[in-house]
Amino acid sequence: MIRGLVYGIKKFWFEVTSGDLLILFLSIALAVTAISSVGFLGDRLQSSMKEQASVILGADLTLRSASTLGPDYLSLANTQGLETAETVSFLSMAIANEDNLLSSIKATTQSYPLKGNLVISKFSGELITQKGSPPSGHLWVEEKISEALDLKQNGELIVGNKTFVIDGIIKDFPDRNSGFFGFYPTVIVNLDDLDAMGIIQTGSRVVYRNLFSGTKKDINNFLAQIQDMPSEIRSQKSEDVGEDMGEALESSTTFFNLASLFTIIISVISSMVAVRRYAERNLLQTSLMKVFGASKKFILGSQMMQLTLMVVLATLAGLGFGYLLQSLLIGALQGIITTDLPPPSLTPVILGFVTSFCVVFGVASPYLKILSESQPIRILRNDFNIGVTRNAMIYLVAAITMFVFLIIVFKNIELIFYIVGALIGLTAALFIIGKALIYFLSFFKLSSGIGWKLGLKNIVHRGNESILQIIIFGLSLVFLLVLAETRTDLVDSWTDTLQEDTPNNFLFNIQEYDLANVSEYLNTKAKIFPTFTPLIRGRLLSVKRLGSESLDSENIMEREANLTWKEELPESNEIIKGFWWKEGIAEAEVSVDDRVAKSMNLVLGDELYFSAGGTNFYATVTSFREVEWESFSPNFFFILSPSIGRTLPNSYITSIKIPENSSTIKDFIERFPTITNIDIGSVIKQVQSTISSASLAVQYIFVLALAAGILALIASIFSNTDQRKKEAAILHAIGAKRSVIFQAAASEFLVLGILSALTAVISATLLSAIIFSQVLEISYSPNLNILGFGFLSGVMFIFLAGIISIRKTIYTSPMLTLREV
Amino acid sequence: MKDLILEVTNITKEVNSPEGALTIVQDVNLSIAEGELVSLVGPSGSGKTTLLAIMAGLDLPSQGSVTLLGSEITSLDEDKRAQIRGKDVGFVFQSFHLMPKLSALDNVMLPLEISGSDEAKSKAKEALIKVGLEKRVQHFPTQLSGGEKQRVAIARAMVNEPKILFADEPTGNLDKKSSSAITDLLFSVNEQMQTTLVLVTHDLVLAEKCEKVYELSEGRLL
Repeated sequence: MIRGLVYGIKKFWFEVTSGDLLILFLSIALAVTAISSVGFLGDRLQSSMKEQASVILGADLTLRSASTLGPDYLSLANTQGLETAETVSFLSMAIANEDNLLSSIKATTQSYPLKGNLVISKFSGELITQKGSPPSGHLWVEEKISEALDLKQNGELIVGNKTFVIDGIIKDFPDRNSGFFGFYPTVIVNLDDLDAMGIIQTGSRVVYRNLFSGTKKDINNFLAQIQDMPSEIRSQKSEDVGEDMGEALESSTTFFNLASLFTIIISVISSMVAVRRYAERNLLQTSLMKVFGASKKFILGSQMMQLTLMVVLATLAGLGFGYLLQSLLIGALQGIITTDLPPPSLTPVILGFVTSFCVVFGVASPYLKILSESQPIRILRNDFNIGVTRNAMIYLVAAITMFVFLIIVFKNIELIFYIVGALIGLTAALFIIGKALIYFLSFFKLSSGIGWKLGLKNIVHRGNESILQIIIFGLSLVFLLVLAETRTDLVDSWTDTLQEDTPNNFLFNIQEYDLANVSEYLNTKAKIFPTFTPLIRGRLLSVKRLGSESLDSENIMEREANLTWKEELPESNEIIKGFWWKEGIAEAEVSVDDRVAKSMNLVLGDELYFSAGGTNFYATVTSFREVEWESFSPNFFFILSPSIGRTLPNSYITSIKIPENSSTIKDFIERFPTITNIDIGSVIKQVQSTISSASLAVQYIFVLALAAGILALIASIFSNTDQRKKEAAILHAIGAKRSVIFQAAASEFLVLGILSALTAVISATLLSAIIFSQVLEISYSPNLNILGFGFLSGVMFIFLAGIISIRKTIYTSPMLTLREV
Repeated sequence: MKDLILEVTNITKEVNSPEGALTIVQDVNLSIAEGELVSLVGPSGSGKTTLLAIMAGLDLPSQGSVTLLGSEITSLDEDKRAQIRGKDVGFVFQSFHLMPKLSALDNVMLPLEISGSDEAKSKAKEALIKVGLEKRVQHFPTQLSGGEKQRVAIARAMVNEPKILFADEPTGNLDKKSSSAITDLLFSVNEQMQTTLVLVTHDLVLAEKCEKVYELSEGRLL
């Protein structure tokens, strides 16, 4: 064995330069590029998400309540070595220069924030601090407030009963998106000034937060000790925040995983073809070596050493490309990732090596066995063909090894089983279709064109070889078509989220008597035709669970809820359980957002006890809705049936699209000063940037899969080039014209291309339907453009690559060709 | 009397064919002494090459035994037989069977590299000089004529200084002139190295140059 290993090292460079290992090398490098780029990316994104999650919270753990939390939790945490901070947030008018602006007031302690950056600068731009709270009697404001109210350094701003000195501008602060207040520009004051402002009264809408930071162990210990806290106090750990990191990022990550999985499968296909060609070309050598005394172990050792060296080199190349690609992806995803990414870990490197060794030794093991056990008598029989069908069991073992590896790497048993099922189904379908078509071709007689006749005959007489080629062409095309469809639909569904007319402004507090005036004003001034939704300020008090007579206030939303009533289900909502009410029903019913329903453990038939407009009432839960919050239309956790909704006092809300740089809103607010406007243009821009970033990243990874697919097609075309060259040379030698040889090759590749592409298109449609519904959870309708283009380009590629592969033979002396093959 | 180097006892070889079991070699007995020059002749399909393969341990008989260099090779496994071949047996084939991607030198070095020789390169060069190919050392098989290819094959067969050399139709793919040159080379190298030579041939002129001629017909020795 050792001698074999040494021999393998000696001959390695020679094997690499001779070209037989090149396709295998490229296949492995591509598989490693795919897995490592996604691995590097995922690894860094995961680390980044953890950091970002802490930044979103401003801490590792927060406790949040609508009423004061008291000092107990902070004291307990301090005794356990945790860092602590406190914030209190509410809405109030900020008044200056006889003007005012509804603002989010945030009172903080000196230690705020525990995570993330608070950046404050003077109006001149000079940095003041990156932590804490302003001194008592002073405050910091966001630029939007200073611009709207025309504020100056050391000027005055009144909040409630207190007049503050303006110390600086807030450039950045964490925990911005903590609920409804996040829409309003922020003022930060010292917590000691809270009472002096005199704003917080009984019933005021206030969010009290305690912030904690420390090691994971200390945080968990602390949480264990406070697990009996009242239900109205909600705890949130940084780990929980990652789930909300954005749908585009999540689905692009799903696509990356799917693409890298497909790239590996396609690479496995091309590796199998390449290994088979390598083994066939080495059968003479190994048989000869046997004749000259090489043992089975010697052959095994030398082959394994050569493959190992090739795998190491290909893996290193793949890791290099993977890292580069990952950098491109990170660059593309800058719109989504807002924090600096930590450096990647070693995990993708290990994963890259595991992938390449599994792929190579998974697909090569049958051939290594064949080579090491080759009989020296082959030399005397001139028999250097590998009969692969006899080794079904070894292939089965190799396939099982591969799929166990895929399950371990992708940790998604369901997906892998779908893919395995699809692969088996596709292979069987391609085999049956291929066999049937070849059988049909044997009866097909052309009346003229000897070249075309020969080509068709070649497909028939190659029999299983032709079927194998149809399967390989077909499988590679299927996976590429499915990825192309997935990519296009994913990007389309993201883009659909934000149409041209997506609203960028909300108008609140519109009273019944103003509806006609508002409509008329917007119609006349901006050709906007708003639709108004009733807005009822209410509070969910408790739940009467189905089958119970007592009221339960555990696990319910602790704060006021905005309610509405509707006769018809809004466009951006979908009933996922239960039924929408019939027209004219008299009962008080409520439809609940499914995520809220889950968090409150609601079932259909539960009765919710609300308080709104001085009235307390029950409403029976009759449906759960999936709400498309990204639609930027007014959406609600709770929608009441008209019979109860109509009886409650309400104002109205609407969302409208205002062109950028238009003065419509400024004029509107002057005309209707009691109506509140929230501009969400910057949020829309953020979402648009996220979508274009994710789309670009998806393109990059698709190109990688495409490269793997093309390589697999090339590998399968070259798999029996030697035989074709020999046949072409013999035909040439016995007098066939070049045009006849060309026609024979052209018709063979054309028919193979059509058969493969046709079966691939049919199979891809079925596989896409499964992946869309089961993995991506979006509806599927076949993309005829992609399928049509895929069919044509598949046929053209196989045809042209096939012709090119034997072109040289057609124009070379047959003697030279026969000497070489 | 010289020692026996090869003894074949009651060898029969049957293979399965679509028409049923086919007997290729039937009940063959022969023995060859050290240093003897032996030829096997017979028409195509008479079983010459199959018998040669069995005698050299490249294939196993259905019945009977072969003792080569004192070892009953028909009872050994493939690796043990390979060990004997690597040490004491040389081969020359009708189709040359040179490795197309290896140079003449690398082809000749192959058996030495398998046996782990430290002087593979120098010995291989020496062997190529012996067969008159000192100017073709770095040439690849596609750059050599048929006669030159067979010279490389002879150099490769002799480089290990085998005790017995098996040659299967060594001139079968060559023209008359090249055949004659190769025949002379084969015999002169054999004489120099005192090797036993067993060759299969159609060429009666070549066969008659041997000390002993065995004739096969329909798998039986006449």
